[in-house]
Amino acid sequence: MILPFHLVKVCGDIVFAAQGCDIHSFSSSLRHISTWKYPALKADESNGASKETQDSPAPEEPPAKRRRVEPGAGSETVTNGEEAASENGRPKSKKAAQYDVPANERPFVQGLYATTDGRHLIAITGSDKTIWVFEHDGAGNLKQLSQRAMPKRPCSLTLTRDNRTILSADKFGDVYALPLLPSTTATPSSAPATQPPSRSSTPSTPASAPFKPQATELTVHTKRNLKALENQKISLDRKARQEQASQRPQFEHTLLLGHVSMLTAICVGTAPARTTSGDAAAGQEREQEGSPKVREYIITADRDEHIRVSRSMPQAHVIEGFCLGHEDFVSRLCVAPGGREELLISGGGDDYLFVWDWVRGQLLGKAGVLEHVKGVAGEEGATKVAVTRVFPCRWEGGVGVFVVVERVPALFRYELLKDNTLQHRETIPIPGNPLDVDALGTSGISPRLLVAAYPSTSSEGSSSPSLIALDKEEAGWRQTPVEDLSAGGGYNIGEIELQKILYSTESLRKLSDFD
Amino acid sequence: MGGDKIKKDRRQKREDYRAAMRQEGISELPRKKFYRQRAHANPFSDHQLIYPPHPDQMDWSSLYPDYVIDEPHHQESPPSSEVPPDNSELAPLKPKRISKDVEVADIGCGFGGLLVALAPTMPDKLILGLEIRVSVTQFVEDRIKALRAQNQDARLYRNVGVLRANTMKFLPNFFRKGQLTKVFICFPDPHFKARKHKQRIVSTTLNSEYAYVLRPGGIVYTITDVLDLHEWIVQHFDAHPSFERIGEEEQEADPCVGIMRTETEEGKKVERHKGQKYVALYRRLEDPAW
Ligand SMILES: C[S@@+](CC[C@H](N)C(=O)[O-])C[C@H]1O[C@@H](n2cnc3c(N)ncnc32)[C@H](O)[C@@H]1O
Repeated sequence: MILPFHLVKVCGDIVFAAQGCDIHSFSSSLRHISTWKYPALKADESNGASKETQDSPAPEEPPAKRRRVEPGAGSETVTNGEEAASENGRPKSKKAAQYDVPANERPFVQGLYATTDGRHLIAITGSDKTIWVFEHDGAGNLKQLSQRAMPKRPCSLTLTRDNRTILSADKFGDVYALPLLPSTTATPSSAPATQPPSRSSTPSTPASAPFKPQATELTVHTKRNLKALENQKISLDRKARQEQASQRPQFEHTLLLGHVSMLTAICVGTAPARTTSGDAAAGQEREQEGSPKVREYIITADRDEHIRVSRSMPQAHVIEGFCLGHEDFVSRLCVAPGGREELLISGGGDDYLFVWDWVRGQLLGKAGVLEHVKGVAGEEGATKVAVTRVFPCRWEGGVGVFVVVERVPALFRYELLKDNTLQHRETIPIPGNPLDVDALGTSGISPRLLVAAYPSTSSEGSSSPSLIALDKEEAGWRQTPVEDLSAGGGYNIGEIELQKILYSTESLRKLSDFD
Repeated sequence: MGGDKIKKDRRQKREDYRAAMRQEGISELPRKKFYRQRAHANPFSDHQLIYPPHPDQMDWSSLYPDYVIDEPHHQESPPSSEVPPDNSELAPLKPKRISKDVEVADIGCGFGGLLVALAPTMPDKLILGLEIRVSVTQFVEDRIKALRAQNQDARLYRNVGVLRANTMKFLPNFFRKGQLTKVFICFPDPHFKARKHKQRIVSTTLNSEYAYVLRPGGIVYTITDVLDLHEWIVQHFDAHPSFERIGEEEQEADPCVGIMRTETEEGKKVERHKGQKYVALYRRLEDPAW
């Protein structure tokens, strides 16, 4: 089937949109410019004897056949060569092998981010846990600068305010800092803590050295500990081998902070520096000439309902506070724009969006989501919501917040009022289920919205467009479909499998919540 | 089949016993064999945990009934309240208030030996044990209840309580910033395998949470019989800028250290085997200027 566009990111006046493992660029008038393809897949298609194809799981197969290897199968060659090879040891039909790639192992683009100047685009691909940095020429052409495979799958990332550091929040709850542009001189070191000011990084742990059992029968006394020691000795050999295989990444990365829970969202916020008694010390920490006294904070959200506020580097080990009140997973965070940076809006599995004074950890208000979803899906049709996007932008002289709820064919527009309440303004019906939204700044009073959507199929079998531009006009919303890129091509993936990838937020809900 | 039956009988017996222990006015100390449970609970899985969304919504009154404040009318919320007083919709739960906050926490308290020994030595402080295993928590609950009943006249053990909780995830749900003065981490599970180190209850990232709940000057007490784990603990607290190691002299002068060595269940086991015990204390420092 033809894959929908599932992510959209505006970079200057260029629109980038992800479709499966590819990233396409469009002009502001929405003409297609270029396409970046996941490298391994390109290798497959070009039928060349590239490294990837040599490593591919089925070297005995004629190249002619491999030309049509589907992207999913291609990902196998990159991420899972070993397993795939053993699978291929058994005689198996080619078709079956393609379907065998588990949905969550396809290197779908899972996140798209841009620096504020639009000069760099950053992508996360899921199954290979990789962060990609591209140079953007400002005209829609990407040049790949780096490709960094993280220790665990990144779930969300953001940039520090100076745009020089990527903060990557992962599935295991850790946040790593990576330079946007890896310094060319840096020798790869396995010890992540290189800069002295950031002592909040991981000290090198026994994990980085060959592990020896340090406890002996003399120092381990309880029955339980003795048994553990035995097991440890048995598994030592195997473990040593495993550890060699899964080495730490060979690029600069610093562990900043961590939750013992899957992270779902990360953003940065700034607040005026506090004038405390420690001002003398503050003076020593060289304040940059003329820079306003603001402090940067890292705000992280997890599946266990927490929103944490930590200081940014080099004091990321200091937790300033929490914004607590969610009773289900948090999946989205955003700091309000337009000089309202002290406000944080969060959404997730609860029936409401929450508005916070994040500096003080105070809940300011809530705004209903479920009630408006019921307006689309009917009273019975909706009993719970999974918020997948909370997108703020300047809107008609104020602050607009556009909200996407998983599997709901509408965009919900809220307004952040002067008194900090969040008010639902309208529900905009969309022909498919929105997956992502961004805005193209225009001279007008409200920007042009771009919506990536999972198309719905009409009874005659025609599909709704997957990338739509929305313009607010006097008469209402004008919807312009973006040219169909059938070039993106057929894709060997089942509908159910695809939905599992693109509608993954509801799965954050804890099972015990269902009853 | 027969094995099944025996298992069932045993479980039934256990349940009957525990039900009997839950009855009011029981002052007989619980027996451990009826509360045994698998050694490890996975701190990453969800379990069926009960915890407040926010510390202000925690109802401490059932744990420390002697400290409940009688509020004839709805009194003004304390200044620390996180919710504006006029916005009642935002404060769904207003639990009964108690007259003081928990100040001492025992992380992974096991069968509660430390709690019970500490309680009489700091009668003006509220002490809380946190334990992830259900039946072990129940044992401590019943133990405290029995001790309170046995010491009715002296009014002892009113200041100690226990909760089932996964401290690796939910400490900030129970405690506000800087609420605690002492945190005990006694004989934590060693998790020898490198692959399981992420499960260790001491790590650079978790230490930030201990720093968050501790007020400056507060102390983390650690003890273990596993040298490797001790070194791990020392390495990770040494590396954390919010903590500084407390010197040997001050350590040995602290009465809590003696209690930790001899009164924890694990400490007693190690004693019987004439093993080593490694102690390390860390003081929570002021946060640097910002
Ligand atoms: C070896 S026992 C030590 C018990 C006690 N502190 C003593 O010294 O006798 C460790 C205890 O920590 C508990 N534990 C482990 N992880 C925990 C977590 N994440 N939250 C709460 N308790 C935990 C275990 O269930 C176990 O009872």
